[in-house]
Amino acid sequence: MKNRNAFKVILYLVLTVASFAMVFPLIPLIFASLKGATEFNDTGPLTPPKNWFNFHNFAVAWTQGNLAHAFFNTGILLSVSLVGTILIGTMTAYALDRFDFKGKKIIVWSFLIATLVPGVTTQVATFQIINKLNLYNTRLSGILLYLGTDIISIYIFLQFMQSIPKALDEAARIDGAGHFTIYFRIILPLLRPAIATVIIIKGIAIYNDFYTPFLYMPDPNLGTVSTSLYRFIGPFSASWQVICAATFLVILPTLVVFLALQKYIYKGLSTGAVK
Amino acid sequence: MIKERTKRQFIPWFYVAIPLGLLALLTFLPVINMFRYSVTNWDGVDPTRQYVGMSNYGKVFTDPEIFHTLFVSIYYFGGAILQIIFALFLATVLSYGLRGANFYKSLLVFPFLLNAVAVSLVFRFLFRGGDGLGPGGLDVLLQHLGLGRFVTQWTGNPHVVNFSLAGVSIWRYIGFNIVLFLGAIQSINPELFEAAQLDRANRWHQFRYIILPGIRRITALSVILAVSGSIAVFDIPYIMLGGANGSTTFVIATVKTAFNLGRVGLASSLAVVLLGIVLLVTFVQRTLFKDEQVDLV
Amino acid sequence: MRKRLVAGVVSSVLAASFLTAIGFTPAQAAPAGWCKQITVLTNRTDIAPTTFTKVYGPQFTAGAGNGTKVKFEAFTNYNQDVLTMMNTKNYGDVLGIPNSITPAQFPKFFSPLGKASVLSKTYRFINEGSYNGTVYGLAQTGNAGGYDVNLKDWKAAGITTPPATPAEFIADLKKIKAAEPDVIPLYTNYATGWAPTAWTNSFTGYAQGVDGQNIMAKDKAPWTAGKDAFIGDDLLYQAVAAGLTEKDPTSTDWEASKPLINKGAIATMFLGSWSVSQFQGAGPNPQDIGFYPIPVKDPKTGKFQTFISGDVKQAINKNSKCQASAQAWLKYFEQDSGYAYSQGGINPYIKGPNGESYTIFDKLGVEYKSLNPAPAGHDSDFANVQKAAGIPTDGTLEQNIIDTARGAKAGTEASIFADLNSKWATGVASLG
Repeated sequence: MKNRNAFKVILYLVLTVASFAMVFPLIPLIFASLKGATEFNDTGPLTPPKNWFNFHNFAVAWTQGNLAHAFFNTGILLSVSLVGTILIGTMTAYALDRFDFKGKKIIVWSFLIATLVPGVTTQVATFQIINKLNLYNTRLSGILLYLGTDIISIYIFLQFMQSIPKALDEAARIDGAGHFTIYFRIILPLLRPAIATVIIIKGIAIYNDFYTPFLYMPDPNLGTVSTSLYRFIGPFSASWQVICAATFLVILPTLVVFLALQKYIYKGLSTGAVK
Repeated sequence: MIKERTKRQFIPWFYVAIPLGLLALLTFLPVINMFRYSVTNWDGVDPTRQYVGMSNYGKVFTDPEIFHTLFVSIYYFGGAILQIIFALFLATVLSYGLRGANFYKSLLVFPFLLNAVAVSLVFRFLFRGGDGLGPGGLDVLLQHLGLGRFVTQWTGNPHVVNFSLAGVSIWRYIGFNIVLFLGAIQSINPELFEAAQLDRANRWHQFRYIILPGIRRITALSVILAVSGSIAVFDIPYIMLGGANGSTTFVIATVKTAFNLGRVGLASSLAVVLLGIVLLVTFVQRTLFKDEQVDLV
Repeated sequence: MRKRLVAGVVSSVLAASFLTAIGFTPAQAAPAGWCKQITVLTNRTDIAPTTFTKVYGPQFTAGAGNGTKVKFEAFTNYNQDVLTMMNTKNYGDVLGIPNSITPAQFPKFFSPLGKASVLSKTYRFINEGSYNGTVYGLAQTGNAGGYDVNLKDWKAAGITTPPATPAEFIADLKKIKAAEPDVIPLYTNYATGWAPTAWTNSFTGYAQGVDGQNIMAKDKAPWTAGKDAFIGDDLLYQAVAAGLTEKDPTSTDWEASKPLINKGAIATMFLGSWSVSQFQGAGPNPQDIGFYPIPVKDPKTGKFQTFISGDVKQAINKNSKCQASAQAWLKYFEQDSGYAYSQGGINPYIKGPNGESYTIFDKLGVEYKSLNPAPAGHDSDFANVQKAAGIPTDGTLEQNIIDTARGAKAGTEASIFADLNSKWATGVASLG
């Protein structure tokens, strides 16, 4: 019995040390974001702020960093790309799982091969294509790239689709429903759990993506949360307390979503990886 | 009836047209173009480009600046292996169902969800050192713990910088591995554990003979992701240091070569090499773990 | 038909006379037109949201802009970001020319602004933005060569006159370090990339005379003792190797360095005269910021000297559909905005008022000089050699020197310069 307790203590100790290592890097950031300029310069990074409710830096970051606009831009990219991904992914899965047709094998294979090509390797050439389409420096470039290079979602839908009994659409077909009605009225609603998974992984990926907006949307007015925060560094580097506040503001939505949807996120992450 | 059948031949094309078009436009066409550019001296702007044969590929392997970036990925790969080991350990501990395990789990996983720029800034602030700017949080912590002699220039010391960055990478991605491992452990048939308990098998034996075999596939997947991930590192070193002080990775070098030096031809050959490495690694994985692939089709 | 022809002739004559009046001669057809809004790309992230957007923009819109609004896009890594944009046609209407664009590339990217022989009557530094006698870019302000010092720090070490030789410069930095151990004697601003390029660029002409750049374009070994390129980079190497610079160069921070030199935590920064006003404005001690001449005296006269040169060149995107608006903006910015003066610069507009860069050296008896332009037909030689040699202009050359000098990278000073010389020689050879 004693042994068991000692074992438990060790386990807790391990978890506490590990968790501390994860949380610690954020502490100086949070402290700094609540300090005034002179206080920031005169106190150490691990000294707590005098006033825990000094939100001045947040106000500066929000207004001068144009963060409201950044959240708006990211919001647009997120919503359009997510809706598009879901439609495209479910439609593809529907076609591949429910129809037998010539060329199906080739399609499946081309998607399979595409998973082998990481997007990061082809940017040099993709850039030229976006440029030729006259989409450089437009929101559409980001949306198109998020839609067009996402094969994982298709797989998630495909996998889930296989668990929906075919008898359901057969029954509907006998009742005279067309293929579109079957897709829209029967399949799409049943795919809801898979849609939730895709929204979570894809949403996190888009919100956190730096590469795409950085390379394709340099116009500061199109700045996403990532690129706006990145641009923040130069002009504000003399006042890191403001940069810290801006960083915290960017982290905040993630924190809220995480706390609210923890279970779904864990599930989404494991489903997404085991494609 | 025949008519109906022909119709069913065409309907699916309506559903897959858009994704196929995007696939061709944004994945296959770039790959083809990349090969075409890689044998030219194109600058990305000029309407003309000259064929230069394989000379770009020669440069990839002879230019020490470029070649060095491949060594940089070794740091990240080492970090990723450590990360897998830590994650496996922590996931096992979490799987014991201690009270409060969920709380610890969320602390461990949360960093994985954070924005790349935010992570870079968190660590730029944590690592900063002296020079009239005041010490960073890490240095102060070490001083408090009586480990002041380990204080160094976390990003300024060229012998340390890539370790620091690999450390950031572990911090950022370990949560992902924990989630994967924990999911795999929890999907192991609980009867196995019960049987083990009846046999009075100790924790180590449970881990060795039940958990480890149960998560083989996930471990393999993690190692593969570690390889391709460590070559494709871009955002953290780019945002934190702009690739200075020997922190340039292969992808940073590619981006700079293409868009800042205007050598799209050379950059394309870099990208082709990168693609080749990733394909090779994936091929090895598929051959080694062939039997365990889930058949999707 | 005839009527239309006449109208066309009249309007183009009108446009031409208007352009001549403002100092531009149209090298091509009449400008393409006015737009409701133009986009200006700038490296001044610090004042883009304030002075640019709140003063210059509205002033232009209300006046010469005929209602054209101006949108400013500011970039921290200006050269990198804008070079990426220049892989497309979409790089603003007016922009500063990134520093790795060679004169030979000007016609590919920018609209011609007029003949150099004509525009040089109105503007200084014309040759720096020209190719084959045609002007593509106008300097936004003009700088005098030299470096910033915190006078209080230098005085505290017992130094009141500028060092006259590179060796004296190093000796003085050592004195500062001994007298004030907490002060950083010399700050490289390594992390910016652009700041340390001054060590290679700003010594041109000081030892080798007004033809320095033209000589270097033909020299097969410019990094040889006694030559301009060597002197600057050697000085940087010596200072870093002697531990006179910041401890961790990678965590240097441009905006943060301004208040630091203002309060004396940094004693010296090697940047052109444009930086003086920014350092003065960065804290409560503007009187402590001084500007010293480069420690290489004219070998003939034995006097301190300074070479004046144009700052970033403003040019018009060739693909812009708003040529007329863009030209009007450029004219406003050069002649009426007061930008150059507010930056303490030498005004590129000859009739305009000069900032203190023009008088900063009066007390020190410094000779003002400018580099000779390249001989006709050789405008792009220097930049072409640089490019063919693969000599980076983004600061990696200087970062490499700093890293080697502080022992962070394998190599010696001699090996760096040998490598630079061999690369440069291949560049020179490529000109044929």
